[in-house]
Amino acid sequence: MPRPLSLALTAGAALLARRAMRRRIEGSPLWPLGALAEPISGRPRSRALRLTVAAHEAVAEGVVQLWLEGRELPGWEPGAHLDLVLPSGLVRQYSLCGDPADSSAYTIATRLVPDGRGGSREVHEGLRAGMTVEVRGPRNRFPLAPAPAYVFVAGGIGITPILPMIRSVADQPGLEWRLLYCGRSRASMPYLAEVEKLGAGTGRGRVTVVAEDEDGLPDLDSLFAGVAAELPEGTAVHCCGPEGLMAAVEARIPEGAVLRLERFSGRAAGGGDHAFEVELRRSGRTLTVAADSTVLAAVRKELPDTAYSCEQGFCGTCQQRVLGGEVDHRDELLTDAERAGSMLICVSRARRGPLVLDL
Amino acid sequence: MSNIKARKVSFSWEGTPLHWVPGDPFTSHTINVLHLLLPAGERWFVHVYKQVLPYIRDEQLRADVVGFIGQEAMHSQAHDEVLPHLRELGLDPTPYTAQVDWLFEKLLGDRAPLPGRRGRRWWLMERVAVIAAIEHYTAFLGDWILNAAELDRRGADPTMLDLLRWHGAEEVEHRSVAFDLFMHVDGGYARRVRTWLSGLLVMFFLWQRGVRFFMANDPAPGLRKPTFRGFYVRGKRGLLPSTWAMARSVPRYLARAYHPSQEGSTEQAVAYLASSPAAIAADKGAA
Repeated sequence: MPRPLSLALTAGAALLARRAMRRRIEGSPLWPLGALAEPISGRPRSRALRLTVAAHEAVAEGVVQLWLEGRELPGWEPGAHLDLVLPSGLVRQYSLCGDPADSSAYTIATRLVPDGRGGSREVHEGLRAGMTVEVRGPRNRFPLAPAPAYVFVAGGIGITPILPMIRSVADQPGLEWRLLYCGRSRASMPYLAEVEKLGAGTGRGRVTVVAEDEDGLPDLDSLFAGVAAELPEGTAVHCCGPEGLMAAVEARIPEGAVLRLERFSGRAAGGGDHAFEVELRRSGRTLTVAADSTVLAAVRKELPDTAYSCEQGFCGTCQQRVLGGEVDHRDELLTDAERAGSMLICVSRARRGPLVLDL
Repeated sequence: MSNIKARKVSFSWEGTPLHWVPGDPFTSHTINVLHLLLPAGERWFVHVYKQVLPYIRDEQLRADVVGFIGQEAMHSQAHDEVLPHLRELGLDPTPYTAQVDWLFEKLLGDRAPLPGRRGRRWWLMERVAVIAAIEHYTAFLGDWILNAAELDRRGADPTMLDLLRWHGAEEVEHRSVAFDLFMHVDGGYARRVRTWLSGLLVMFFLWQRGVRFFMANDPAPGLRKPTFRGFYVRGKRGLLPSTWAMARSVPRYLARAYHPSQEGSTEQAVAYLASSPAAIAADKGAA
């Protein structure tokens, strides 16, 4: 039987403790938990937008333009692209070619690649005005480099990221620019009329259109000879088109010029993947990733406990730090900031050179 | 190969109101607390499980754990996307989620409370056991939401119900993984009891705090203070889990013969996943 004194003491201690706690909570509402200064939750990595296909029209032979409508769409800069999630689940990247100031719609254009991997066929034949599609982005990995003068080289559908660039450059008085726009035939080249109008304006731009069926192959040598003679040091060359055109431009780039290339990644161009090397810096090993394999599969042979899960680039489990090399990001999750230093090894590959991973 | 795999779901929240159970802020917010706890909590599950992979010596279990990790990562992302929507509706959850983030990233982070290799291993096993205990509770909640027909009758928002039921169904689908993993790498009974109790206390503490946070910060005027009675009454009506069912289910985890496969129904979960709009869209995307 407890004595009255100990009962009174216990009750008194409990009251005191309760009072102290209440005081503490009132003094600092967060007590007893700490808080992260920069919370992680509630900042989703990628927000999918659902947009309506407001128009689906042919703008050149084999090229359709999509007008995707939404409300208060995120802004973008010339060179940006969207990830378009097709009804079948395929994800393809398309450059934005509309007006960046328009926050009610995005414009993209795509050429039908009959023997491609199915993305362009679905856009051409599966999508109709009135349908809803999901997009992610926009993201920009081909931004306009600040420069005193510009040269643009576009091959066919490669005009799409270049077009908003030219519009923005042509708006600035005093900026010199050149555009070489080549394609198989004039009828197959989208936005040709607008491009020629921009070149014919009062600005300081000059447009050369080369249709292979009339004019033969583009003469890059004379283009760059002219560039070296007329344009200042530090001129930026932006090029988007087929692999062969970009390689030719890269080989002729004058000294002192800045080169920016937009490769259609393996997915958009329908080209096959190539093999590449991956160095695991901490383990001191170098592996080869075959063209039909993934970085994850190669890494798991060496390090079987490497974490992964969905193997499709959406769950984020296999994210690894990248110490070197240029990554061709094919995931649907990482933000641009995260892409700067890491990759999802289940889907992403090397764009160029060996990759160096912190593994 | 494991049957457990992540589904790439996505929800659009534009049409969902703050009180998504019409006329019942208390029920809405009691369930909304999930959006506060799960983004950080399930990210932490993934973080811990990535570290435990090297301890697994059973290929089937490893495949299950790999699937479990992806499902939990998607749960975390899906609930995370509700938070900006709550902010748009005038209820900024950041003061609370900053604390939950702190709890999981710092307090339950990788810094072991004991020194050395053994300390690190002890801390990893402790966290694996906590996850197994929490998964016992989430399987109960998943089973409850799959059967909560009263919410449909009250006209609850279909997108929110689909999120909860997709999540609940995957929790039921993978309910054995966390427990099997715990039994595989450790399985100590004292640890099981200890983490069962601390998991329960922490969840209770965070949950009641979350409900009070939501009710206090809700922009709607004239909301009453949440009470336990309010919870009890809604439990009886089937709008929230019933207090008695919870009281009976919670200690089942302590039975020596306990196995999660005795709880809930995989058939029902798989049937829901076959009819969930979000899961159907995800499967179509994967095909």
